Amino acid sequence: MQREVLHVKSISKRFSNVQAIKDISFSVEQGDIFAFLGPNGAGKTTTLRILLDIIKADTGQIQWSLNGSANQLPQAAEIGYLPEERGLYLDIPIIKSLIYLASIRGMDKYEAKKAAMEWLEKLELADRAKEKLQVLSKGNQQKIQFIASILHKPAFAILDEPFSGLDPLNQEIFIDFIKEINKQGTTILLSAHQMQLVEKTAHKIFLINKGEVLYNGSLNGIYETYGNKPIIELNFKSGLNLDALNAIGAVEDMEISDHHLVKLTFRQNTDMKLILADLAKLEGVFELSSHKPSLHDIYLNLVKSHSI
Amino acid sequence: MSYIKQVLTVTRWEFGRFFKPKNELIGLFVMLIVFTLFYFGSKLAFSDKSPKITVFLLNDENGAIAEVLKKDFKLQTLPIDQKDQFIKNLSINKEGVLINKNDKSIELYAYKLNNDIKELKGFLDGYQKQVEMQKLGLTADQLSKVLSSAPIEESYVYTENSNKRLVLAFFFAGLMIVAVFLSFAYQFTAITGEKQLKITEQIVSAISPQVWMDGKIFGITLTGMSSMITNSLLITVGTVIFFQFTGTPISKVVDFLNLPLIVLYLPFAILGVLIWNAMLAAIASIITDPNNSGKSGLMMLPILFVMASFFVTHDPDNGFSVFLSWFPLTSATSMPMRWAITEVGVEQLIGSFILLVITFYFLRKIAAKIFRVSILMTGKEPSWSDVYKFIKMK
Repeated sequence: MQREVLHVKSISKRFSNVQAIKDISFSVEQGDIFAFLGPNGAGKTTTLRILLDIIKADTGQIQWSLNGSANQLPQAAEIGYLPEERGLYLDIPIIKSLIYLASIRGMDKYEAKKAAMEWLEKLELADRAKEKLQVLSKGNQQKIQFIASILHKPAFAILDEPFSGLDPLNQEIFIDFIKEINKQGTTILLSAHQMQLVEKTAHKIFLINKGEVLYNGSLNGIYETYGNKPIIELNFKSGLNLDALNAIGAVEDMEISDHHLVKLTFRQNTDMKLILADLAKLEGVFELSSHKPSLHDIYLNLVKSHSI
Repeated sequence: MSYIKQVLTVTRWEFGRFFKPKNELIGLFVMLIVFTLFYFGSKLAFSDKSPKITVFLLNDENGAIAEVLKKDFKLQTLPIDQKDQFIKNLSINKEGVLINKNDKSIELYAYKLNNDIKELKGFLDGYQKQVEMQKLGLTADQLSKVLSSAPIEESYVYTENSNKRLVLAFFFAGLMIVAVFLSFAYQFTAITGEKQLKITEQIVSAISPQVWMDGKIFGITLTGMSSMITNSLLITVGTVIFFQFTGTPISKVVDFLNLPLIVLYLPFAILGVLIWNAMLAAIASIITDPNNSGKSGLMMLPILFVMASFFVTHDPDNGFSVFLSWFPLTSATSMPMRWAITEVGVEQLIGSFILLVITFYFLRKIAAKIFRVSILMTGKEPSWSDVYKFIKMK
């Protein structure tokens, strides 16, 4: 069994009249890539800030055990943080900023410079090390921000929206980097909105909505629990017959787009024979596809049903 | 990583961000050029070679006035019938001075009063005294005795040459104003800039707000002090060079350099700048938008307190001056100033200094509390009641 490195017990936080998070508990084990999911305003960033003691929880307990002994707060050197609100010194050479940010986390300057140049090399930015950050494109600034958060080889990295602002190619590259630092021993807590990227990266999922926990478990577990809801997508040649669609049994959710595309989500473990029998009654179906729910589908279903 | 190591890292960073030796040197070089141009330019403009005004004399029958003025002015005698025409033409020609000697007075007509005319009046004063002496039958020695001051024998307990020390104290107060202005500019740029660039979250996840605050206070104080020292050296060297041109020996400058006052001033100045930096950092952290914030004006507050210190020079021993030299927001400048011009007991120096240290210790803690919450507030600017709540937070 893996060692628990972070244990969060019943934390809550209220900002004036908004309950940001409510009685949240979870734990992260050494070596995990732990995906922290939820819609905007769900309380993700608030939770991450509480973990780092940037803001205080109203109630609850947090215990870090990164070096074997339990502490309320981790050492700066043990933690890497990529905040959702990005920002670095724009008017200072990139290499200087990187060395400074690593040195306030306890890294030796010489080591920091060496490690920074290695990362810049990997991200094809080594020749721009002495340039000011402001001359880089937004995507490249995002890369520098990522390097700043993991340069000092932390035991635990919190990455808040690491894929935002990146093109698809760079998103894939970042997935590889996250996996690489995880292999080298960094436990990752990842907050992201791009479910297809989370699916490729995470081992564990923690889903919250409106400050409450909707799912806490493994990636496989979420498919086992919520993944047996067949999804059928229909493309109609002509207009839709809504009465006929409403007559189909066991439909949990129906989405219509562009007046001719219909996505039907059936209840858990609905028999495919019954589904096909109902679908056979429909007229004008031009295309039909069936698949199991993706993480994106599960996420949407869970959040929608919780929000009702 | 220890608190001290983290503070040193931030201090070095903040110092490196703002203290640019190359820019300082360029600034000094430009100042030197301006100073040299100004010196030689003014010397040329007001050199003795420049022609003096022409004095037209009227009724100087025996040539007595001409005798007094001939070395320093160009003289011409004016016929009496041209007097009115000369006066009429003054507003057009704007040149020349007419001196008309009457029985009881000397009339002077010119376009406007200037330095040459002031000098001319001095000569006429001298002439008039000679005339009066002759009327009274007094010798020059007798007149000198009449005009001399009362023969008072003075005896004081405090006999230090405080005038030179006062000049140095004023010089230090001026430097203090420079340091406060620099601190104001750097703290304002550093903190509001970091807030706007959204760097804060990255940093406070690594170091505590207290470490960050302390590093900023020390780093920017160091920047301010470095600029003060650079400027002091320039002014001293510049003054020495200036005195060389004017033929004054270097010892005249050295006379003003009172070592005990410098030794006393430095620790007070350092603590004063530290205190102001702590306060300025706290104010800067509650400003979200520097262009539209009503709190930006508060950044000028320290200057008022430094200026208040100048009251001490009027009467260093009255109650208000003593208060200023103990009150921590003014004592950094006021106490060395009082010490420069009057007798101040060692216990007063030590007491005032300890009060400064205690004030700095608590002020940096309060600043960090305000900083901790407000540095992450990028949308709404905290109100004064919010700031009070931040200070009360544990």
